[in-house]
Amino acid sequence: MDSDEEDFVFYGTPIEREEDVSSRKKKAVAEASGQLRTLPAWKQEVTDEEGRRRFHGAFTGGFSAGYYNTVGSKEGWTPQTFTSSRKNRAEVKQQSLFNFLDDDEKAEMEGRVGTSMQYDTFGFTSAELARKQAEKEQKQRPSAIPGPVPDEVVLPVTESIGLTLLQKMGWRHGRSIKSSHTDSLYNAKREARKAFLAFSFADVDAQPLGSGLVEDATDNIVDLPTDDGSQFSKKTPVYMLNPKQDLHGLGYDPYKNAPEFREKKRSRLSESTQMGHQDRVLKDSLFGFKSGRVAPGFGVGALEDLDVEDEDVYASGYDFEETYVEDVEEPSRPKVENLKMLDRKAHDVLPGFSAATKSDFQLERFDPPVIPQNFVPHHKFAAPLESDNMAPNLPPHVVPPPGDNNLKILIEGLATLVARSGKLLEDLSREKNQFNPLFGFLNGGEGHEYYARKLWEERQKRNDQGKQQLDAKMPRKVQKMTAESRGQILGEKPIERSLRAANSSGISADAISLSSNLSDTFTKPASRNELLESAKPFQDDPAKQERFEQFLKEKYHGGLRPKDGSGASNMSEAARARERLEFESVANTINKGKLGKESIPPNELFSSTLATAGLQFTPGAAELAKFGQDDGIATTSMYPKREEFQWRPSPILCKRFDLIDPYMGKPPPPPRARGKLDSLIFLPDSVKAPKLEDDVSGDRRHSRQEGHIEEGKEMVDQEIEVDAEPENIERPVDLYKAIFSDDSDDEAETSNQNVAEDPQKKVEAVNTTLNRLIAGDFLESLGKELGLEVPTNMPCLENKTSNPAKKDTVPIDLTEKNINQSANGTSSTSDAVGADLPDPVLAVGNNNQNISREGRSPREGTIDINSRKNGGRGTGTESYRDDVKKNRFETEAQTHIHAKAKGDQHRSKNISSSDDEIDRKGRRRHRSRSPAGDASSDSSEDYKDRRSRSRKKRSSQEKSSSKRHSKHPKHRRRDSRSPSRHSRHGSEKERREAKREKRKYKD
Amino acid sequence: MTDVQLPKQKVHVLEGHAGAVLAARFNSNGEYALSCGKDRTIRLWNPHRGIHIKTYKAHGREVRDVHVTQDNSKLCSCGGDRQVFYWDVSTGHVIRKFRGHDSEVNAVKFNEYSSVVVSAGYDKSLRVWDCRSRSTESIQIIDTFLDSVMSICLTKTEIIAGSVDGTVRTFDIRVGREISDNFGQPVNCISLSNDGNCILASCLDSTLRLLDRSSGELLQEYKGHICKSFKTDCCLTNSDAHVAGGSEDGYIYFWDLVDASVVSSFRAHDLVVTSVSYHPKESCMITSSVDSTVRVWKA
Repeated sequence: MDSDEEDFVFYGTPIEREEDVSSRKKKAVAEASGQLRTLPAWKQEVTDEEGRRRFHGAFTGGFSAGYYNTVGSKEGWTPQTFTSSRKNRAEVKQQSLFNFLDDDEKAEMEGRVGTSMQYDTFGFTSAELARKQAEKEQKQRPSAIPGPVPDEVVLPVTESIGLTLLQKMGWRHGRSIKSSHTDSLYNAKREARKAFLAFSFADVDAQPLGSGLVEDATDNIVDLPTDDGSQFSKKTPVYMLNPKQDLHGLGYDPYKNAPEFREKKRSRLSESTQMGHQDRVLKDSLFGFKSGRVAPGFGVGALEDLDVEDEDVYASGYDFEETYVEDVEEPSRPKVENLKMLDRKAHDVLPGFSAATKSDFQLERFDPPVIPQNFVPHHKFAAPLESDNMAPNLPPHVVPPPGDNNLKILIEGLATLVARSGKLLEDLSREKNQFNPLFGFLNGGEGHEYYARKLWEERQKRNDQGKQQLDAKMPRKVQKMTAESRGQILGEKPIERSLRAANSSGISADAISLSSNLSDTFTKPASRNELLESAKPFQDDPAKQERFEQFLKEKYHGGLRPKDGSGASNMSEAARARERLEFESVANTINKGKLGKESIPPNELFSSTLATAGLQFTPGAAELAKFGQDDGIATTSMYPKREEFQWRPSPILCKRFDLIDPYMGKPPPPPRARGKLDSLIFLPDSVKAPKLEDDVSGDRRHSRQEGHIEEGKEMVDQEIEVDAEPENIERPVDLYKAIFSDDSDDEAETSNQNVAEDPQKKVEAVNTTLNRLIAGDFLESLGKELGLEVPTNMPCLENKTSNPAKKDTVPIDLTEKNINQSANGTSSTSDAVGADLPDPVLAVGNNNQNISREGRSPREGTIDINSRKNGGRGTGTESYRDDVKKNRFETEAQTHIHAKAKGDQHRSKNISSSDDEIDRKGRRRHRSRSPAGDASSDSSEDYKDRRSRSRKKRSSQEKSSSKRHSKHPKHRRRDSRSPSRHSRHGSEKERREAKREKRKYKD
Repeated sequence: MTDVQLPKQKVHVLEGHAGAVLAARFNSNGEYALSCGKDRTIRLWNPHRGIHIKTYKAHGREVRDVHVTQDNSKLCSCGGDRQVFYWDVSTGHVIRKFRGHDSEVNAVKFNEYSSVVVSAGYDKSLRVWDCRSRSTESIQIIDTFLDSVMSICLTKTEIIAGSVDGTVRTFDIRVGREISDNFGQPVNCISLSNDGNCILASCLDSTLRLLDRSSGELLQEYKGHICKSFKTDCCLTNSDAHVAGGSEDGYIYFWDLVDASVVSSFRAHDLVVTSVSYHPKESCMITSSVDSTVRVWKA
């Protein structure tokens, strides 16, 4: 760069930059030299000595609280040193009005209170002033009347302050206040301000007691009004020229914003009197309206002012002036003119036309009708009772008939009579039977209301008849058709109040019956109904016939269909379906017959069809009738039927009822299976043994709950096995679940983890899976043996309702032996199972073998059940409950099995575990067999038990059963707890003792 | 002999309702009575003096049931506007409206502590509403019913409801079970015996059935009246010696509890008797009818 620069050659001297002389300064200098003085005042700018604008801000012309000119700092205010308010706090500042007043206002406030010229709206003082002015002027100007003019003759105009102000601002009469020019607006404002100021000072000056504060400022302002004075003194007051002639309110000027119309109007007014005046007026109007000629095509918005741009430059000058604008403010004038026109019409309406002298329009007149000679100007009613009828307009209340049937008949009879022959009869009979108690109703006694009602009804009836007769008499008139008559013609049935759909309650029944009635109503009136009515294929069974009719109705009519009536509601689904088929076939045959022999009367037709097609459905009908009877029997024996379900109240509900949530801390329940399948499966059972139902469902629910418990148990047992010997694996109580449900995944997972943990657990895992297989097969075989059909994928086994099976016959005497056996068993278990331990492969092999031998196992299992049950712990249900309660007994039972299994080498531990399943099943069976009477108390106790148990469990085990559900905590717990478990396992009997004690304590 | 004690004398006729009275209920101590009806009002009466005390108006449709708390401070009512109204008795203002039922609400009851309102609706559900919180959501919905639920009874631990599906279901909150007793006939109205051991269910086959709650056995059937299409109430007398029930022909029937014989029947109303309520202690009964009156009967 340097080298480049060196290449350049510089000529001349560079222009010197005047850094010190700012442009502002220059400007200021220029202004000072008077350059800007030529501008109008409002365009001049006030600057300080530096040339900076003195006033700036949002309001041009105002001052701004800017930094440069007004206050001392950039922040806007002079910074102050902080003074703590701690010392002088709570200082109540006495604020007065003077704190907020400006100096001039203060001066005014301090001054006397009185009327000031400024607010002299009525203009008395200004009138005074004006007079002085006028006098002064008069002296100066030459006048026609020499000498002083008396005040009475020449009254100077008094103007209000507003007007004065406006005039001072440059406003003239006949001009709109708003100036079209912004500049002029600005100007006016300035003028006004100036005038205001001047005026106020003048005012102050005028007061003899004016404060000294403004005294010095007066002399230079005083001349201001005098300057202007010459201006407005020249004017003649407009007001004098315009006396009030209109009907507007005082001070209201309709032409305030449109002065051109004023001129127009005035011109119109003067037009009639003097024609020569027009020119002047036009000129006036032109003069008055500064921008009068507005371009025709361009509208001016409501918010816009007329501006210079809006003026029509090309206008010829008179186009729109000539357009006549009707004066809206004067409604009376055109009317008068109209009247005048009317008057003139008589002479010559239109030029070139003349009014006709003779018109052929004549008002036609008609003579009044001739009144017949014998006319009596009184109306006679056709029947005397009509007049009676007029009075009781309101029908009496619907009153039920009195209990006495005789009385009812009497009342009704009399009512008809009275209705027919008038009130006289009533009076007569009342007189006659004054003391007859039977006719007490005439005198307001018993049944009077009913009588009144009946009488009214009869009269209505008679009235209607009379009307109908009248109608009939009138030949020309079209007979009035009522809705009823139309309905009759169309075959509509009126909606009856009979509510036969009895299967629902008042309101719903209403709805249903209405729907059925409606379906009745909107149907063809035709013969089909009759046909159906006569065609009664199920005459022997009226209920069924009714159903059949209903069916037909539904079939042909469509429309609203009520749910099955009460008749069908107590039928089973299957029966209903069968019946439906039956009805279909019957309906078909009837239809066929109808098509074939149209002409044959329905009864005959049906009998013929019956003859032809009878074979098709009569047997079915008979059968069905029988079925229905069966149903009837069933209903009587079946109901009331009790079922139990699990129901989960919400925690808040329990809280509100001040109860402990029975499901506290439990996971949300699975959605209740309400499938049809469920009910269908259990239906036969419930029919056979309704009492059993209780227990059954109870158990079902029970088992679900046990599920939780047993799972926990299972895990515990697995621990035991791991630590002691893989003797047996506790299966979940829900066999079905174990086989079919996803729980297996669960298990698989656990076993997998076990593998990682312990090599021995591998064996266990294998066993587990095998067990499952065996259990499945075993179930099948068991089912066969029991004569039950075991569906492949049906939750049949989950329901423990199975029939009281052959197992019931298990001999009790066997138990004696088994007690001994079990006693022996406990001691010998460990040896026996211990032998199995070393060779898991062998065990598997054994299992496989055992599958084929399953046939034997069930019976053994059951024997085992009984033996264990009776031998182990005393009596039936009690023991059962204990079993459910504690899994330890399970293990005990298993050991017992193993004791037995010692003899039978083929039976391995796996079988024993599946045996255990049967075992439990058996118990359930036993449970369902328990006497019905026992059941309720039993179950309630059971609940109590369960609750306490669950609570105990909750406390003893790790509080949340939800944890028990999740798999991982399970393992954790297992690890942590295994030692204690192990130690406990050894002393089986001790634990049992402890358990018993605990129970005692509980009791 | 017992016949004498039965309330058969008409003491007062409480008139004021402009339409059918759908329910009439004593309060818990029998001092006052409440009635509600098709004229969309609830009326508070002193039945012993036959005085109308107050009218509660806010319902937009007919009011089907009303119940008052034990301390007589709050009311709950329900009806055609699908809401349960929770009232303040003294001011007559609605404190809360519980919305949630999908259709008309047939019956409503407070629990013992007046902390919840249980309502039964035509929408086959039973809903429990919390009076203590400001929430207007139901805290429990029981929708195991197959048809419109008509009537509710509450014990300390149970919710009992009768439905048109023919069942009377007992929901035991303490145990968490549901007991369903199927009568095979639409159940109109249920009422609990005073000892709490039995349920009297009015079925639409014109039969009242007495059910043993613990066993689910049918103890007795009471016939003779007409109840085929209307919701006519039934109740047991204060001594549990008789069963009282209304009939659609305006009669009131009294049956002997044990041998199911009609002890007495008389015409109480001109039209259908909709509700029968028995005084908890005295031999006094109020009945309501479609004829827009509530009548007070005493022995």
